[in-house]
Amino acid sequence: MKSFKATVNVKLKDTIKDIKAQTLEQAVHSLMPVQNLKCKAGNTYSIEFDAKDKNEAEKIINTIAEEILSNSVIEEYEIKW
Amino acid sequence: MVKAGIITFLGTNCERDTKQACEFLGWDTEFIWQNDKIEKHYDIIFLPGGFSYGDHISSGRIAKLTPAVKSLPVGKSLIIGICNGFQILTEAGLLSGALTYNENLHFISKVTDLEFQNGIIRLPIAHHQGNYTGKNGEEIIMRYKRNVNGSDDRIAGIYDRKNKIIGMMPHPERAVFEESGLTDGRKVFEFIKNEI
Repeated sequence: MKSFKATVNVKLKDTIKDIKAQTLEQAVHSLMPVQNLKCKAGNTYSIEFDAKDKNEAEKIINTIAEEILSNSVIEEYEIKW
Repeated sequence: MVKAGIITFLGTNCERDTKQACEFLGWDTEFIWQNDKIEKHYDIIFLPGGFSYGDHISSGRIAKLTPAVKSLPVGKSLIIGICNGFQILTEAGLLSGALTYNENLHFISKVTDLEFQNGIIRLPIAHHQGNYTGKNGEEIIMRYKRNVNGSDDRIAGIYDRKNKIIGMMPHPERAVFEESGLTDGRKVFEFIKNEI
């Protein structure tokens, strides 16, 4: 078995209104002038586990991301190793 | 006699209100623990309100993985998700769409007017993620008179008639008894009874 560590970033799809990001943009503008400000809100999860190989590790992390960390109706995720 | 089951999850807090409302209507009612498979027959199964698994990750996200939800007798019993129960049903893919954070990002707890069966009823709402989006085919059975949370088309409740699954954010079980000051929840329970 090998040890793996992945970071999963989950954010709302661009087609879904990102209210937290809009609030952040308003807050930034009230703090200071910033040109072309674009914010995106989301969550980051750091996950460590053991697997037989990279192939199995990818299957595990994809299942976790799809079943628990995100909702495919409104969110998308990316995995970084 | 109508036989009703109420699933209780870790963090559910509306199961007693729901049971009392069912018993007020004369229904034989019992709780179903989240870790038990549903094997008995129920005419109606409720997924009540609350904060299953503390709303961690997202409301309803973890509860969808429990044996009770995985063994829901879809198409056989009438299944009703109220508030957190509605969130669980969408997370499980049993109803379309998703419930995202309220447009004002606040937890909203108040009594609100709703359009229901060609009339207006008043029911309590209490949620942080009630902003419904992405309906795909279900019938709209309840709308907020004023869009309190940003939901598409002011949707407060939907009904998948084919699979007999209802989801709604308002709490009819909190509006049954005279002493609670509201009794319009009875109209919702009567509607539910007629759909068995």
